[in-house]
Amino acid sequence: MKTKDKNPISPNINDTEAYMKELVGVGTSFDLGFREIIILKNKVQLYYLTGLCDTSVILQILKVIVEINDNERNKNKIPEIIENRLIHQQVNRIKTMDEAVDQVLSGLIVVFINGEREAFVVDVRHYPGRQPEEPDTEHVVRGSRDGYTENIIENTALTRRRIRDARLRHEMLKIGERSKTDVCVCYLQDVADGGLVKLIKKKIQDVEIDGITMTDKTLEEFMNKRKWNPYPMVRFTERPDVAAHHILEGHVLIIVDTSPSVMILPTTFFHHVQHAEEYRQAPTIGTFIRWTRFLAILASIFLLPLWLLFAMEPTLLPKELSFIGPNEEGNIPIFIQIILGDLGVEFLRMAAIHTPTPLSTAMGLIAAVLIGQIAIDVGMLSPEVILYVAISAIGSYVTPSYELSVANKLIRLILILSTAAFGLYGFSIGFTLYILFLANLKSLRTPYLWPFLPFNGKAIIQILCRIPVPYSNSRPSIVHPRNNYRQPIKK
Amino acid sequence: MSEDRQLEQNKREKPMTLVTRSLITGFIGGLLWSLLGFVMYYFSFSEVAPKTFLLRSWLVAEWTDSWLGNVVSILMVGVLSILTAFIYYGLFKKINSMWMASAFGIVLWFIVFYVAQPIFINVPQLTELSANTIISTLCLFILYGTFIGYSISYDYHDTILTEERKQTE
Repeated sequence: MKTKDKNPISPNINDTEAYMKELVGVGTSFDLGFREIIILKNKVQLYYLTGLCDTSVILQILKVIVEINDNERNKNKIPEIIENRLIHQQVNRIKTMDEAVDQVLSGLIVVFINGEREAFVVDVRHYPGRQPEEPDTEHVVRGSRDGYTENIIENTALTRRRIRDARLRHEMLKIGERSKTDVCVCYLQDVADGGLVKLIKKKIQDVEIDGITMTDKTLEEFMNKRKWNPYPMVRFTERPDVAAHHILEGHVLIIVDTSPSVMILPTTFFHHVQHAEEYRQAPTIGTFIRWTRFLAILASIFLLPLWLLFAMEPTLLPKELSFIGPNEEGNIPIFIQIILGDLGVEFLRMAAIHTPTPLSTAMGLIAAVLIGQIAIDVGMLSPEVILYVAISAIGSYVTPSYELSVANKLIRLILILSTAAFGLYGFSIGFTLYILFLANLKSLRTPYLWPFLPFNGKAIIQILCRIPVPYSNSRPSIVHPRNNYRQPIKK
Repeated sequence: MSEDRQLEQNKREKPMTLVTRSLITGFIGGLLWSLLGFVMYYFSFSEVAPKTFLLRSWLVAEWTDSWLGNVVSILMVGVLSILTAFIYYGLFKKINSMWMASAFGIVLWFIVFYVAQPIFINVPQLTELSANTIISTLCLFILYGTFIGYSISYDYHDTILTEERKQTE
């Protein structure tokens, strides 16, 4: 915070009152509470935000302060007496009006005393919110069922509960000239790369927007250079166990107030294809799950364009596979059928997000009958198109990261179009450009396709197989951990 | 004192492992992309396969036509790629750019398909290759070159950065 343009608190309480009325709108905004009481014949004013304070705590504080009139006589020590009687664990003194206003608007009580250049701030914040519950997007069969909420304090607590390390740092920053949103940077001080932490904090401090109501996503857009790139450059998670695991690996976490998801930095493509479920199963099973998932993700990108290519040029197929390809020509060119089918699935997905539950059954019925059967009966789509569109749609639902699945969908569409336009050239060149594009992406100086391209043998084994935890001794080199050893190597 | 010793140890070990890592990258890259090359041949993207170059040019034994021929030739590409990686390590490791590595891939393609073509009797001349083959193999070589080259130069720069970081701390 800048120190030069701060208004000091005036010892005359009427000035304070005028300031609060004029600049903060006490009396105009109904949610700003104001209470004046007389303590030992001296004026004391309390300001608070009605919606964000716990009423029972305010009542208790008021009661005790008013009781000063009955219990105390010393008029020269009013501030000391009041401070002593503010029965709360978090009481601070502040000296400027700007701070006072900030604190009132965050839900704290500010107590002004006539004749004093200081005010007391009592943290009685009670934000409306929900209890931690399992996040919808990251279910596991076994494992903890708690998830981050919209409350940054609870979120840091959920992390702290998993890492009780003295070296875990939760640094609080504020973003937004108007919204003054709290942003917390968490990392392990002796593990996370100091340069990275500095860079992240600098990027956060450089943001000068009025407000970030869309919280972490907005912040992510400020973090990365390429604003139009469809691929997610950070990993979002709503699971505290996943977040804590990444902190231990040396990643940096950013928690933004009012968002139930936290950002993990830096991230690569392969962070988006892993899931907590793998770590709750036997390593072999975890590896199997992972391979199946890779297959599904690959299918969600390449299956449709590849099939389209074979449908367009059946001579490419070896004899054993010549059955692939549509049996009947159909009335519409294949690639338009594919795009129609794909768009249909996309309609469904988007509708499903905001269809109220009572209507979703009806929606499912319409979808199944409409796209499934009738489209074939009237000759719009051929059955094979539906099969492949369905497989690749399921493939994108298998993708653990929602952001990644949507980005893959876009790439699939581009590959379909380029294959439709240029046949084999379109597919080969499109494939090459896609890989080069991904390899060229960087998330905070981290190559996006690491450890595949640039290749790192040790790390890629960790990705291809779910290594038993007792054997994973070192942290991933990509985060440049200061301390590389997770556990002593047993001989 | 103990930290100093650790640093010295790192210094002695790093250059060794950097080269080894690069050569391993070459081997894996050779296996991976020649496997893709074989898949491309299988699906007629290209009329030449790894084995067309490495086995069929001087061997006409029956086994070269079976799956064994493919496996052996893929392994041979892996071994040859160690050489590729060594060349890139020697010449271009300091150029920290992905595009340099892609260009390296294009040059390799040119060498294999034009300069060295007379060695491979079974491979048609560049002008006689189909457009499909040219485009597909060129793409394959770009990816192959990028994989080996970018990995080596990134690893090299990353190692230097890590060492610098350790020294400043």
